[in-house]
Amino acid sequence: MPEPESLFWVAAVTVVIWVGIFFYCLRLDRRLHQLERGE
Amino acid sequence: MLAEALAVLAKELRSELRSRVALNAILLFALTTLVAVAYQIGPYRIHEEDRPHLLAALLWIILFFAATSGLARVFVKEEDAHTAKTLRLAARAGAVFAGKFAFNVVLLGTLEIVVVPLFCVLLGYRVAGPSNLVLLLAAGTVALAAVATMVAAIISRASGSGTLFAVLTVPLALPLLVMLIQGTRAAAGSAELAAVLPALRGIVSLAGVTLVSSVFLFPVVWHD
Amino acid sequence: MTRWKPVLVWLLGVWMVVVCWAAFFYAPTAQGFKGESARIVFFHVPQAWVAVVAFCVNLVASIRYLRGRDPVDDIRAAAAAALGLLFSVLATISGSIFAKIMWGSFWNWDPREVSIAILLLVYAAYFALRQAVPDEERRGTLSAAYAVLAFVTMPFLVFVVPRIYWSLHPDTLINTSGRIDMESRMLQVLLGSVAGFTGLFAWLYSLSVRLARADLRRRQQEGG
Repeated sequence: MPEPESLFWVAAVTVVIWVGIFFYCLRLDRRLHQLERGE
Repeated sequence: MLAEALAVLAKELRSELRSRVALNAILLFALTTLVAVAYQIGPYRIHEEDRPHLLAALLWIILFFAATSGLARVFVKEEDAHTAKTLRLAARAGAVFAGKFAFNVVLLGTLEIVVVPLFCVLLGYRVAGPSNLVLLLAAGTVALAAVATMVAAIISRASGSGTLFAVLTVPLALPLLVMLIQGTRAAAGSAELAAVLPALRGIVSLAGVTLVSSVFLFPVVWHD
Repeated sequence: MTRWKPVLVWLLGVWMVVVCWAAFFYAPTAQGFKGESARIVFFHVPQAWVAVVAFCVNLVASIRYLRGRDPVDDIRAAAAAALGLLFSVLATISGSIFAKIMWGSFWNWDPREVSIAILLLVYAAYFALRQAVPDEERRGTLSAAYAVLAFVTMPFLVFVVPRIYWSLHPDTLINTSGRIDMESRMLQVLLGSVAGFTGLFAWLYSLSVRLARADLRRRQQEGG
């Protein structure tokens, strides 16, 4: 387990935040796609 | 077109001289602020090495805030009094802008004529290059009036509130203010034209760019 | 284009994960900075860059709106401005954090810092203006006019003022940026990050515009 202060955790948190944003936007994209196709 | 613009200017001047609302507002604001500042600071409280920056900055803060309290009136009062529609029919957009812009220049100029000498006396501001300062004031007046008149036109078609005017003008006027303060510092420090030239060039360019854009933007906003 | 879209989106996803990781492990530790604090530049610079890109997109959309009064252009302008505001805030915050670590204070009046703060003020003013106008077409016109006006006055802050701005503080930020970028690996990560953030902006922008257009269509159908 890397040390608590090491950069590893900062990097990991950053990646997790990004992945969260990414999947949120992906979901939005899909919903919009459905909306547009439904019209 | 020039005749129309002059007519608009004349009308503005006449109505202002009758009621003096804008003039009173800005002079009152400026003089109150000036006296409050001068009372606290006076000619001796600021250290010699800080004087150039601080006094230049203070002067323009006073002028600028006084100006924002009065420059929006040119358009807002038309909308409030419902005379705007008549004006749209009576005169061309360019003439309206030119006339009101000229009026704002006169208003600002009057403010400066009163406040600047008073400021120098009350705060002991020794200006080495008064002619430089006058040049700077002239250029700054034109630039500030140009920005303010265009923004006033925009907000008069929105809610017309003074707060909105201030909010919109501040980001646009900040570069101008910074150049003016820097130029004023230079003018206070030296009588050489070269000292104020960089600031002067910047201010004149800003004024030019704003006026040129207003030629295109104003008719769109006015006739909306 | 729609066929490629999912590919591009997933590519962006993976790319940004790589960038995040590289920012902390591939890029070497910068000399002359407190610990690893320099790594923030991999996020701060792209944010500022995107804020400027958004400004340009907003300008183009605003000009198009003023010419054609197409509601979609107003949607585009507003979407770009919203993202611009977001990234300006992020850039200002990340810049302040860095300033605090490096120089001990959150704000230093470095010309670059001030430019991004003014951009932020412009965006805030833009939305304040939009809020104040209930009519859709007029809202579009007025905010577009303001956007153009803001765009022409911005260069003065970014390019002119730094030449005449008195240096109360050393320009360490700009100098050290020059030093950092000589390290090729840092430059690679920086450019990769800029590309990634630009891609992110493009995606968020397109989502935002599509959402607003769908909303517009729905409202038109209900009203019509």
